[in-house]
Amino acid sequence: MRAADLTPVARDVMKLPAGPGLIAGSLLAAYLFNALPWSGGLLLARPDLVLVVLLFWAIHQPQSVGQGIAFLLGLAMDVNDSMLLGQHALAYVFATFGAQVLRVRILAFPLGEQTLHVAGLTTGAAAVVLLLNLLLGSSFPGLAVALSPLLAAALWAPVSFILFLPGLRRMRRERPS
Amino acid sequence: MIHEPPPFFNRGPSPLARLTFFALAAIATMIADHRFGALEAMRLSLSVLVAPVQQAAAAPAQMLSRLGDYFTSQDRLLKENQELKAKLLEYAAEAQRAKLLAGEQEYLLAMTPPRSRYATDGVLVEVLSHGRNPFTRKLVLDKGLAGGIQTGMPVIDAEGVVGQVTAVGTFTSEATLLTEKDQSVPVMLTRNGLRAIAVGSGKDGSIDVPFMPVSADIQNGDLFVTSGIDGTYPAGLVVAKVTAVEKNAAYVFAKITARPAAGVDNHRFLRVLTAAKPALPPPPAAPGDDKRPLREKPAKTRARP
Repeated sequence: MRAADLTPVARDVMKLPAGPGLIAGSLLAAYLFNALPWSGGLLLARPDLVLVVLLFWAIHQPQSVGQGIAFLLGLAMDVNDSMLLGQHALAYVFATFGAQVLRVRILAFPLGEQTLHVAGLTTGAAAVVLLLNLLLGSSFPGLAVALSPLLAAALWAPVSFILFLPGLRRMRRERPS
Repeated sequence: MIHEPPPFFNRGPSPLARLTFFALAAIATMIADHRFGALEAMRLSLSVLVAPVQQAAAAPAQMLSRLGDYFTSQDRLLKENQELKAKLLEYAAEAQRAKLLAGEQEYLLAMTPPRSRYATDGVLVEVLSHGRNPFTRKLVLDKGLAGGIQTGMPVIDAEGVVGQVTAVGTFTSEATLLTEKDQSVPVMLTRNGLRAIAVGSGKDGSIDVPFMPVSADIQNGDLFVTSGIDGTYPAGLVVAKVTAVEKNAAYVFAKITARPAAGVDNHRFLRVLTAAKPALPPPPAAPGDDKRPLREKPAKTRARP
């Protein structure tokens, strides 16, 4: 009787693919985070959680989230930040492409090294946005912008932890016992 | 992972092909938005979708600040009340004088083409948030097309001009602050009626007044008000106070810096002036000289308002 409890019921529950509900919900939550009333220096250093969650899905579930979703999310971020439409779209598409190319390599590493790879991708995306704005004649907003992609990369580990929580995955596909 | 299909299944175009496609699409979007302003409708509809999310995100902070308001000490409220009363008295005298002047002005305007150049109607708006774009200086306001707001309307606070509405959604709108880079306001010096254009410098709390000759009669502490000749800003709104005048004979123009009179970054409630734009006569056709910088007009001495 007790033996049944010892069977690894939830052994590979982490490997269940996430449902569209989880993906959309996590992206919406990240968008809410980005839409918080940041201002001043905090705004400059705001870690782009949308990008991190997007990269997470692009790396762990490439068949569900790709550059098309990256493009649409980028447009939504441009509206949120009242920027020229398309800047974040371009940055996100580039970062997602990087994730798609590097994903096998990234998945071979533990979380710490993954964070370094993600830092590269987020820095690239931030650089695209910064360069576009400088091209369009904005003045350099301050060194705090360099902080934003690093903070975003630092969120990689917590985001991975949360989105791999077995409870979140099992909500969709209850394992038959 | 185990759920990934084997690579020999058809998975559509390669990542590089997708990258090329989407990057070109993004660049095309940017060009369409920047060059032709063609995507206003798209932005508008997207902003309707995004508005509830934004409001949900802004809610906790707003609740906290309301809670803070609730618990302000009575002491402070009393003090504020007294200050406000004193101010009210001060303004009452001003208002009397303004009434007199308005009467005079009405009489004078009755003799000229019928249009008022002064601010009348307005809508009270609440600042939802600072624009979340670190490269520009903008505010998000809580009224949009549904509240009668349109692009181009000036935004003021109790002290003076804060900025101008530059984008309107259905329920929210966006005001660009005076200090935004290249945001310009036609102004007039109250002391001698000298006309100029104030241009935001892109730095906090500072406005430039370019293209003024070294000989221009501008001093530290002079007050700039809107001149009202552009048809966008009504005349007579306080814009900025001159903080530095640097005249160097080596340059053609003086370097003039001013500080905005309004608390450009401070207030939660602002007023959008919705009065219909005065019908201006069509500008005179002047072939080829519209690119010249604004020069000083022969100094007309006007009576101070």
